[in-house]
Amino acid sequence: MTAHYLYPAWLRLWHWANAVLFVLLIASGVSMHFAGPDWLIPFATARVIHNTTGILLTIGWIGFIVANARTSNGHHYRLHFRGLITQLVAQTHYYLIGIFRREPHPFHVSETMKFNVLQQLTYLSVMYALMPLLIISGWAFLYSVYLPETVFGIGSVWIVAMTHVVVSYLLALFLLVHLYIITTGETVFANLRAMITGWHRDTTPGHDSPQPPRETP
Amino acid sequence: MTSKGTRTTALTVELRPFPKPVATMPSSRGVRLLFWCVLGLLVGIPWTTGATTTSAPSAAAMATTDPELERIAAEQHNCLRCHAMPTLAYRSPTDGEIVDLSIDRNALAHSAHAELSCVECHHRSYTRYPHPRRAAPRDFDCLGCHRDDADPRFAWDHIETEFAHSVHARSEAPNAEGFSCQSCHHPHRFRTTQIGDPLTWIVQEHNQVCLSCHTQLISAASASHDWLPNRAAHWDAVRCVDCHTPADDHANHRILAAEDSPRDCVGCHSADARLLARLYHFRSEEDIARTGLIAKAIYNESYVVGMSRSPLLDRLSLAILVLVVLMLTAHGVGRYLVHREHKRSS
Repeated sequence: MTAHYLYPAWLRLWHWANAVLFVLLIASGVSMHFAGPDWLIPFATARVIHNTTGILLTIGWIGFIVANARTSNGHHYRLHFRGLITQLVAQTHYYLIGIFRREPHPFHVSETMKFNVLQQLTYLSVMYALMPLLIISGWAFLYSVYLPETVFGIGSVWIVAMTHVVVSYLLALFLLVHLYIITTGETVFANLRAMITGWHRDTTPGHDSPQPPRETP
Repeated sequence: MTSKGTRTTALTVELRPFPKPVATMPSSRGVRLLFWCVLGLLVGIPWTTGATTTSAPSAAAMATTDPELERIAAEQHNCLRCHAMPTLAYRSPTDGEIVDLSIDRNALAHSAHAELSCVECHHRSYTRYPHPRRAAPRDFDCLGCHRDDADPRFAWDHIETEFAHSVHARSEAPNAEGFSCQSCHHPHRFRTTQIGDPLTWIVQEHNQVCLSCHTQLISAASASHDWLPNRAAHWDAVRCVDCHTPADDHANHRILAAEDSPRDCVGCHSADARLLARLYHFRSEEDIARTGLIAKAIYNESYVVGMSRSPLLDRLSLAILVLVVLMLTAHGVGRYLVHREHKRSS
């Protein structure tokens, strides 16, 4: 068995804080978006929750970007184009077919790269495209009274609203897939445990050295 | 607007508050009155001479050679020779307040009553000076003209009933005494809201009517409405009557007391928001008039911050989310079956 310390304390703290904020933001966001039914959070309460958690999410995201730039965690987000397509095909094939044939993972986690190519592309899109869009549109909502009435002839609030809603739906989609993918580790809870302890353990035969399982959340 | 049904457009738009209707002058104080009027003339003439000689009595009359309109314009001109002076006023002998008798010529020319002769509402003969003291029986009787209005958008009987139940009509406060149509709908300034009027202008003008009496709300120290998030933003974007009247398709005249007015955010920030049926109704019509139905469909239900609803986008997104959940479930079930099969065989 080998073990890699992949998730330092700051990263785990940020991850779980982010997770709680995501849940609160989705609950309060849905309550405001579909305002009216009794089973949702009252609009006035949801507004306060959403604003507060949105601000905290912004702080968390800025902290993550800064930490990524200043620590070795950032290199997991650097895309290597050589062999990208091949890895993409192999990883997709594994999730769609190989996993049902009990084929070995096409990717092996190491301290130099903890993401397979699909994860890397997903996390890059989420953290460096969707999250900034979500945060910027959220703040634009907060200060919508200062926005111009129209942008290129289209109501600016409408643009902000639609951006925020579309990005929110995409991130909800990400969350669903993310929650499922963490169960595809060596065991169903292996990846979840790794994000709690920081240590990624691998008992796969033949990978005693730096060859632990391929999947990380 | 006349009972003949000329030019009646939707809605109640009001401009400035109307001081309590003053139609007559106290003849018993003729000397004092004469003094004030002469003073008014002396002060007012230098300021109004140019306007009197250069501007026509009515914009409508200016633009037409209709003999009837010319007659009306001439009659208006007779009255406005004195009443267009901004300083024309007298001090009421009963309460000592200054009673403003001046009429803004331009506002009248652009008002809904621009094509009415003054004596249509002020029925008493005004050949004598000072004018008769008491109002004629049908003076200032709005419904006297408007009740038979043919326009179906006005339900005058309803308006009368609604007004009778409004807080202004039922209030026993001394300053609500004598509250009438003219208290909000200044007959010399009143004009109906037109589709295409900027929404911010509508909000500002409508709210100004309320704030001209409810002056305490303007104070920066006022704690009124402090429960409202972003109070200033709300006041800039929402009319007082949008919350202080029952939700209705037409402009409801039953003004609600503060305690009866809604405080729920969802009333506005939801798909069936009252604002969509009311204030934004005009913007919606404005959008149609300006950009057509396609733009209206895109913008539909997305005016109010927090109400970023696009039913099509919602349905599509939720369908995708459900589909993904089903796919992931199927994937998980497949993995479980493979795992069980493997366990069994080994």
